[in-house]
This record gives sequence, structure tokens and C-alpha cells, in this order.
Amino acid sequence: MLAGIERIDEVEWEVPIGYVPGMRVPGRFFLSEDLSETLEAGAVQQLANVAVLPGIVRYSLAMPDIHSGYGFPIGGVAAFEQETGVISPGGVGYDINCGVRLIATPLTPDDITNPRALIEALFTTVPTGVGAESEMRISPHDLEEIMVEGVDWAVAAGYGTEKDAAHCEEGGKMPDAHVAPVSKKACQRGMPQAGTLGSGNHFLEIQTVDAVYDNEAAQTFGLSAGQVCFMIHCGSRGLGHQICTDHLRTLESATRRYGIEIPDRQLACAPLHSPEGEAYFGAMAAAANYAWVNRQVITHQVRTVLNRMYGIDYEEMPLVYDVAHNVAKMERHTTDKGRQTLCVHRKGATRAFGPGCPEVPQDYRAVGQPVIIPGSMGSASYVLHGTTTAMEKTFGSTCHGAGRVMSRTKAKKATPGSEVRKELLKQGIIVRATSDASIAEEAPDAYKESYKVVDVVRRAGLSLPVVRLRPIGVIKG
Amino acid sequence: MPFEELPHQADVRVRVTADSCDALFAEAARAMFSIMYVACEEGGIERRVSVSAPDMPQMMVDFLSELLFIAEVERVVFSSFEVTVKGTALEAVARGEAFDPDRHRGGMEIKGVSYSGLRIFRDGEEFCSEILFDV
Repeated sequence: MLAGIERIDEVEWEVPIGYVPGMRVPGRFFLSEDLSETLEAGAVQQLANVAVLPGIVRYSLAMPDIHSGYGFPIGGVAAFEQETGVISPGGVGYDINCGVRLIATPLTPDDITNPRALIEALFTTVPTGVGAESEMRISPHDLEEIMVEGVDWAVAAGYGTEKDAAHCEEGGKMPDAHVAPVSKKACQRGMPQAGTLGSGNHFLEIQTVDAVYDNEAAQTFGLSAGQVCFMIHCGSRGLGHQICTDHLRTLESATRRYGIEIPDRQLACAPLHSPEGEAYFGAMAAAANYAWVNRQVITHQVRTVLNRMYGIDYEEMPLVYDVAHNVAKMERHTTDKGRQTLCVHRKGATRAFGPGCPEVPQDYRAVGQPVIIPGSMGSASYVLHGTTTAMEKTFGSTCHGAGRVMSRTKAKKATPGSEVRKELLKQGIIVRATSDASIAEEAPDAYKESYKVVDVVRRAGLSLPVVRLRPIGVIKG
Repeated sequence: MPFEELPHQADVRVRVTADSCDALFAEAARAMFSIMYVACEEGGIERRVSVSAPDMPQMMVDFLSELLFIAEVERVVFSSFEVTVKGTALEAVARGEAFDPDRHRGGMEIKGVSYSGLRIFRDGEEFCSEILFDV
């Protein structure tokens, strides 16, 4: 482990006050000995930098998929008091409400007699990659409604079923969204992109449930061994990117005006109740709602393909759940001061609310919120459930993915995309992408092994495994 | 090679070098478009960009962000840039061609130009910048 870091228990570590000047609280992160060699000093410094921000409560936290980002580390979680705290786009990222959702089906792998045909149909139906535009035409008025109504808009417009919204974090709609602080530029970028996957680590996967760890929870979530599911990973596209760019600039000068000392310009922030802070929060919430609609429209595209090819009714393909992993939200948590409303930033981290929380949908409440952890192209993804321990230790948060261990450039040099594709095919995984380069960048070796990350959150009690999903087909942007 | 990629696990970090401040901004833009698109060739499209900022790093973020915006909304792939810097303001002409999925697709989408670790500095006679792109 890196020098200056103290062990708390088996998988919990502390970055003490003083690690960087001005820290108000210690840092805490979760990592196994096994994964400690993947820890970058830069990521720990970013974790410590977050602890400098005003109004931070208890700890600056990071999950076991921690790696260097900008502003916050990836895997970072921090909660801020309403009265004294701040909001920072550096704690959310450019891809506001980048997130992941899982759709269940009644299919088994045997039903998919021609997987290539299915993958081609999905690839041509879901716009992917740089420059991809949606066939869906929305008016400026539609865009405003999307940003305010979220998934409710999509369902009313025919892109979902009545049950979909209830199975999204926040019901697929942040109520504090405001369109006034969303620039014309952001709207111009958002108009043609609703219902597009994007590129980079975004994907659409066909998966099958190949291990069940908790029968009761799996049954509650509507999952069973051998079932085929579809996982979608994407965010708010150019609309969210532009909102982050616009508001970073405003908050950059606000940081100085409010006399807030920050160790990294990307941590530009403003008091939660300042005009600049409120403007960013409203615009960020609008982008979050757009992202939920984006994933909902892609869900509709997937269901349409499955309905056409296998004759399955839309109602037979329920949304298991949809989680946001780049977002800041006002949430109620118990602290040393009792029940408090806090602004919880999650930057590459997933909400993992435990059993009994009113925010968890009624049909899942006894078990806890479903947590969806995507693996890399070749490795398994997991569904877990939130826990009371997460509520106590991490403001109800857990990891969001496997976490990279190799740069994109190094990955491209290590193995050509065509080789990665062939290797995965040997394992029964068909990959379809806009280019071999994008396959090479996302090669399985470029990521931590997902089971090791999931095992850390299990050992820490932050979330508990329900099922494992093995990929059988991958569409990359 | 006027720009090189520096190690970064998740995103793309580049170091750009040039023999003048004007050329530095032009090379930074060229680096950004090289990451985003497989082939960038000069075409008949020309756009003018003006940026004014409180300091040089902000000017770099604003300049590159404006190009990202134009490229995405107007579906243009830029490949050459003429930049004139005066203090912390710049005027630029960007030239490129219409986005063609068959030729240009396959690069990495850049989500934003980060302030984290953004540096603009002199190294002897050379002008240098280190920039982190969120991809």
C-alpha cells in the first residue's frame, strides 16, 4: 500500500488529514490487498483533494474501482451539508448521469439460434459511435419536456411501459431540474442525440444469468439462472457534456468570488444555495433526466428488435433497474447530527440503498435497491443489492464497474482489436463495434477483473451479490 | 510528432509542443481531432472562432470546447488551424470537411476538456501544453 495510508480493517483504508494541505475530513477507500497494486498515487491525491472542499461530511470516500479522474477520482463519493456545503461539476463529470440499466427477458440462450443476426439487428437499430445521430426527431418543446419529465416523457411518448419509471433510480426524474440554466448550445447538442449509445466504454450487451447467489433476492428482481438479459450503459451525450463545460466556467470564477480555496481547478464549486450552485444543480438535474430518457429510448429500440425477431411482448421484457453513476443528488442520511439532507456526489459510484429505504421501489424494498455492476467485454457483470452497512458507511454507495488498469493507448498497443475480437469469440462472446480500435481500447485486460471489485464491496458489506451475468454479445460505440 | 500521449489509465492526456504560442493552440486542436476521428483531411469547410478568457489555461479550454461544439453540431471534422493569440484572446480559422461515418468513424468521442493538470509552459525555446481530455 502507498505510504501515508492507514489500514482500518481488512478492506478499508484511511487517508489521514494532512495528506494534502487543508483537508477538513479524512479520506476513506475500500480495496483488497490483491488490488492495492493497481492503486495510483494520483487517485489518492484526488481523493484527498475532495476532503478540502467546504461542508464535506464525515469522509471523502472512494470505492474499489478507484482510479485517476479529474477533480474527484473515479469511484469517488462525497456528501455536503446544505448550509455550509458546495456543489462541484468535478464530482459529477462531463457525462452527467452516465448510468446502466438491465432489461430481463423470457429468452434462454437456446432461443437465440442466430446470435449474429440478433447482434446485427441491434447494431443497425441502436445508433452507436462518434457522430451517430438518432432517428427520433424531437422538437425544442419536446427537449424541454424531456429535461423536466425524464422517463415519464418517454413512457407517455410510447417509448416504455407503465412500470419502467418505478424501476429507475429517482423514478427516472430528478424533480429539481431547471431548463433556464441549460444553454442553447447544450440544447443544440442534445436535440439529435436522444436514443444514441455514444462511444468509449458505453455498450449494449446481451448477457445470460450464469450464477445465482441469493435466490430470494433474484426472484424479487425477476431474475433466474439461464435467463437472457440486456444491459445498456450510456449517459447524457453532448447535452450533458456541454452543461458541464458551461457551468465549470461559471463556477470557476464563483469559486474565487466566494473565497473557496481548491487544490485543483476541476474542483471548481459554489455554495449549494448560491445562484451559481443552484443554476448548476438545476441544469445537471435536467441532463440527468435527459440521460434517463436516452437509456429509455434505447430500451425501446432493443424491445422492438426482440419483439420483431422472437415475438415477445414488450411487457415480458421488464426493466429490472436503472442506476445513475455520475450524479449529485439531495438525499436524507443519518449523521452525527441526526437525520440531515445532504448533497451526495457520486462520480463513478452507484447508489446502493438498503432494505426498508423509502427511495427503493415498493416491490424491491424488503431486499434493498438493485445495484448493477458492469464488467468489461470479456468479464462478468453482477447484480447486487444495497445494504444497511452502505447507508451507515458510504451514504448508501458502492462501486460502479471494474475500473481501468491500463491506458487506452497501452491497450491498443498490447493487442490489436481484431485479436481481441477473435479471442472473445473463442469464449463464446460476439463483439460488434464501429472499429477494431474501439475494441482494443476496451479489451478485458485493460480492466480490473470485475469479480475482484465486487468481492471487495461484498467483504466491506456495501452491497451483496444476487446474480452474475456472462456476456454473449457486445455492441460497442 | 508535435503531440504525444502521456500515460493516463482512464482518459487521454497529451503533451503538445510548438515553436510559438499561436502554433501551440493550433497543435492542441489538431491533437484533439486526431483522437476523435480516424482520418482528418483538409476540405472546403472553414469556420472562424474567437475566444477571450481571463487566463491562458481558460483560453485553451474555451478554444477547444468551442471547436468540439461546432464539430458536433455542424458535423464537421477539422484538420488544420491558423491561430493568432493576443494576450488571453485568440482568433482562429479552422478548416475541415463534412463528417463522413465511413471514413471518420472509429475514433474516441471527447466529452470535455479538463482543467485537471492543464499546463501551458515554456521549455527552453519550445511552447508546451499538457491537456487531459475526458473520453
